[in-house]
Parts: sequence; structure tokens; C-alpha cells
Amino acid sequence: MNGAHDDGGAHDASLARTAPGEAGAHDEGGAVSSAALVVAGVGLWMPGFPNAAAWASRMQDPAAEKPRGLAFDRVNRRRASLLGRALSDAAAEAMAAAGVDPARVPTVVGSSLGEAATMIGLLEQMWRLHTPMSPAAFTVSVHNAASGLLSISNGNRGFTTSLAADFDTPAAALLEAAGLVAARGEPVLVACGDEVAPEHLVPEALRFDLLAAAVVLAPAWHPGPRLAGLRVVLGGAPDLQPAADTPRLARHPQAGLVDLIDALLAGRRGSVRLDRGAGAGWCAELSEPEAS
Amino acid sequence: MPITAYANLNALGGTRADILAALAAGRSGLVPWDGPFPVLTMVGAVRTELPALDGALARWDTRCARMAAWLLAELDQPLRRARERWRPERIAVLLGTSTAGAETTERAYRTYVEQGVLPAAFDFRRQHTFGAVLHVVATLTGARGPTWMVSTACTSSAKPLASAQRLIAAGTIDAAIVGGIDTLCSMTLLGFQSLGALDRGICRPFGTERAGINIGEGGALLLLERDGDARVLLAGVGESSDAYHVSAPHPEGRGARDAMSAALAQAGLRPGDVDYINAHGTGTRLNDVAEAGAIRALFGAEVPVVSTKAYTGHTLGGAGAIEAAFAAYAIEEGWIPPSLNAAPLDPAVTIRVPTVLTRGMFRRALSNSFAFGGNNVSVLLRAP
Repeated sequence: MNGAHDDGGAHDASLARTAPGEAGAHDEGGAVSSAALVVAGVGLWMPGFPNAAAWASRMQDPAAEKPRGLAFDRVNRRRASLLGRALSDAAAEAMAAAGVDPARVPTVVGSSLGEAATMIGLLEQMWRLHTPMSPAAFTVSVHNAASGLLSISNGNRGFTTSLAADFDTPAAALLEAAGLVAARGEPVLVACGDEVAPEHLVPEALRFDLLAAAVVLAPAWHPGPRLAGLRVVLGGAPDLQPAADTPRLARHPQAGLVDLIDALLAGRRGSVRLDRGAGAGWCAELSEPEAS
Repeated sequence: MPITAYANLNALGGTRADILAALAAGRSGLVPWDGPFPVLTMVGAVRTELPALDGALARWDTRCARMAAWLLAELDQPLRRARERWRPERIAVLLGTSTAGAETTERAYRTYVEQGVLPAAFDFRRQHTFGAVLHVVATLTGARGPTWMVSTACTSSAKPLASAQRLIAAGTIDAAIVGGIDTLCSMTLLGFQSLGALDRGICRPFGTERAGINIGEGGALLLLERDGDARVLLAGVGESSDAYHVSAPHPEGRGARDAMSAALAQAGLRPGDVDYINAHGTGTRLNDVAEAGAIRALFGAEVPVVSTKAYTGHTLGGAGAIEAAFAAYAIEEGWIPPSLNAAPLDPAVTIRVPTVLTRGMFRRALSNSFAFGGNNVSVLLRAP
């Protein structure tokens, strides 16, 4: 193809530009990484642990069997799946901790499988029940159901996305958020979750439970809460081991994000592997946040 | 930012020449649906023969993955050059889909219901999930940078252009394979049928007699690089949310206008600078009038607006990338196709919708994609 080079000018003036090798992008040793960020808040929901504080204390609450959908309005709470409600609870906690406005914060939702239970329900309607497909179920079977319901519930007309990357979903969501923070200079919500892996389709040895975790990332100069500095690095040397484990948690696609939250809540500094060894090797490097 | 190469696959064909020939002739690629459920509608089925994946990728074989492999083969030379220029860790794979391997899962589930066991060859992780297609693309290209699949319904394959743009600007990567793919499946057909959104014949975007959409399949992949020779540049991407309804657009196209405005702002352009708009233009009563209203409010009545949905069907998660490629064709070729089936134009649609092939200098072209969840993306391309 012919044509002029174009790597400047006004066409992407709103993006923070960094040339190869410049500050923060990647070092001469070859590591590929995000720019430096801070973590401004965290949130979590898993059965028995309805928030990050409960998880940090390992004080199980038997009443916390189902997520509530705290960041949804009443109508959309009814529409949402259990996955959507778990994502909503984790997101609500993280947004409150970071002091960000749910009506404005750009949102990245990550899920390896997405609305798997809703999809199974539609397949049952098709092949076993032979009933007409539910239009309500169909419209919330899309992977971005939770991000859409968050946007609608909170009147947020800004950026929202939904992505998947198998066991690299936490890293992918953090990298997408890092790009947004760099381009926009404002905090970004990341909420990742997966629901109970579908029994019909996944062998017992690969199944896991409902879980959602959230963080708010912000520019390094962010004046609000600052739990730690964070950089997402490919192929780092993880030195922080998972603080808690069960087989079903260990194989959860979002386990790496739980490990990151564990480290943040304990005030640990170092490198956390984001994929539990099952992905490409992305790590989160935690450091003392620079003075804002 | 240069788009150094792109490839497109849809109901019109699997090569640039075939697709351009159909667009120039105003020839629809839609055919009657003949899937396992009797849904009376037309679909944009890909008729290009797609070779099965073999060797180490045989267990990852799905229709979606085969389409990815086809598109990568079309980009073989540019990808080789990119690999020579950039380290593999700094080449990202950022794609979009709404269906991924749903077509394969659907058939496997039928077997499960009828026989009590899944087909022996079915592997949920390798064939159903979003990660499966990513694995195939990363393996075939050797890219080892950030890798993810956006799934925001009908904006899925447009959003990766913005993600890549941000990661390149932030210095995290130097190049990215972006775009996306969707395949036809019964679940999608039945779902849109349940919403009363399917046209029985070929859809009629912006037409007064429009009655709904046709579903299509296909995809497009684009190679974005930090610098390089290109005939088309990514000038800006606008992303917004309606914050209105799960499946209906805001009646005044509020979110659509926000996305188009954001694309212009990022590109440093004014509305009058845009020469052509490839509309989302699905053919539903609500979408077309809302989108036309937003375009009229922002751009006025003169810019030509074409919907290509009557050629390919609505390719859902593939539409953003496929139609970004259509916008790129306009810039490169100096003509835009007729907006097929738009006549007679809905009087409520007060924008310019050409129904004949139009020649001209189209130096800046905008492509719209709007989705369930009120998710909106506008991709703005320009000539160097």
C-alpha cells in the first residue's frame, strides 16, 4: 500500500502519546508494560464474602448466598443474571471506595465466559423445550449485558466495554483500563467476574463458582485514595504468592484479580501473577504510590 | 494512525475484488435462511469455502476460527512485514465477536439433548469461548502482545480499533491486529425473531417500507501500526452509551450523536469535513429514524449516507470491522455504493441517502455501529 506516514498531527490529539522507549511504556530490557497507575479502590463478591473487607478478614457470612446488584436500579436488578449482580456489587464497592461518580466513570467489564447461564437457558428453549425464545432473555444474553445495565442504571453516557481473554481476562481488562487512563487522564472502573461454569458443557475438574472482583485505576497523579502504584507487565517475576486458595478458586478465570486484591488489602508490594499460571504470564507490579 | 492492511469476508465474497464488484453492481448477497429452525427471513451467509484448521489447531476448529484463518491468509504479506518490524510481544491481537463459537456449541447441545452426551469432538473451552478464537489468531500470527476479545454485541469489532489506538499511543504496543468476526447461528435468528425485528425479505434500511433486519456473518481484520505506509488512516474513534434501554436506541439518537461527535473531536475535524457516512442502518423502524436524526443534527442534510446491510445482512459482532473496511474502500476507490433498497425513502429520514453508485473524492469517511446495551461506536477514517 502507498501513502504518507501518519504518526502525529491533530487527528489523535486527545491521546497521550508516547514514542517507543519513552517513559513508562517499556524498558530497554524488553518488558512490555502499561504506564504507571494507582489503584484507588477495590471491591469483591463471592459466596459468603459479600465485600472485600469480609474477604480480607476471611469472616464468612452464610447469609451472603446471592449478590444483590447494588449498582443497578430496581428494574435492571430484576433483568440481571447472578453474574451481573455480582459484578454490580463488586463495582459498587470499588466505586464507593475510590470516590468516583457512577454516572461518569468509564467502565471495563471482563468475563471469560460471559452470560453462560442465560445462554444455556436459551439452548434449552431451543432444543429441549421447543418453546419460543424469550426476548427478555435474549437481550441480556449478550456478553455486555452487565456493562449495559450499569450504564443504564446510573445514567452513564460515557465509555463502557466488555471483554474476554480466557485466563488473561484480568490482565486484558487492566490493560484496556490503563489505555483509557492514559488517554483520558481520569479514573476507570474494572469489574471482572464469571459465574458457575456450565455443568453440561464443562468437566467437573474445570468448574468454578460465581465470583466478581473490581478495582478502580487512576492516573499516577490522582488526588483521591491511593492503595498502591500499579503497572501491568508481561513476563514479570511474581514474588507475591496467592494468599488463599481452594481448588475451585484456583481454576477460576478471575483468580488473579482476587490475588491482586488480596495483596492490595494486605498492603503488600511486589509482583502478582494475574493468570495463576494458565495464561500468557501477565503480572501486576505493586509499588508505593508516588506523592500526588 | 496508519491502517497498513485490511481484509474483509462476508456474504459478498472473500476477496476485495469480489466484494467491490457486488457493491458497485448494487447486488445483494442475501439468501433465504435454511437452518434447522424454520425462520422466514434472508441471511447474509458466507459462501466462500473455508478450509478446516489442521495440525495443532485442529481441536480449535470452528466456523469462526476458520473465518479468522481465511482473513489472516489474505493479510499474509503485510503481517510478515509487521513481524519483521515489531517484536512479537509488541503486536497485539484485539478482536471482537458476539457469537464466537456459538454455532458449534448450538450443534453440540442439540446432540446432548437428543443423545444425552456431547459429541466426542466438542471441547467447550477450545470451541465455544472467546479465548479460543484469540488462541487461533495468536498462533497463526505469532503475535504475543496484549490479546483480548471485545464482546459488546454489534459494536464488538469496532471497539478494538480504539483499544489499539490507545495502547499504541500509550507506548505499550507498536502494532495490532484488530477487527472481528461473527457467524450465523439459530440462536441469533430466533432471538431477533422473538423481538419481531426480522424482515422476511431483503431489508430496506431508511426505506419507508422497512420492516426489520437480516442477519449476516463474516468479519474483517485490519492491521494498525505505529507508523508505516498506508492508503487509509484511522483518524478517530468515538465511543458512548445511550444509558437508555437494553435493546432500543434512544429515540433522538442521543448516544449515536455523542459517539460521532467524539470521533470528530479526536480527529480534530468539523462535521463539514466528513465526506461519507457508512450508517449502522439496520432497517428497523427505530434505529434508522434515530440514527438519521442524529446525523442530520450533527452533519446536516448534504453528506451522503449509505447503509450496506442489504448487501451483507447485519453481521452483528463483525459489522463494525466489515463496515470500517467499506468506509476504507470509499476513500481508496473514489466511489460509494447505492444504499440498496432505500427507495422509497422514509419521509422521516431527512438525510441524503444515495440510491445509485456515487463517484467523488471521499477523503474522510465515518462508519457507525450501535449495539444492545446502548453501546455506540463511530470510526472515522481519512486519506493520508
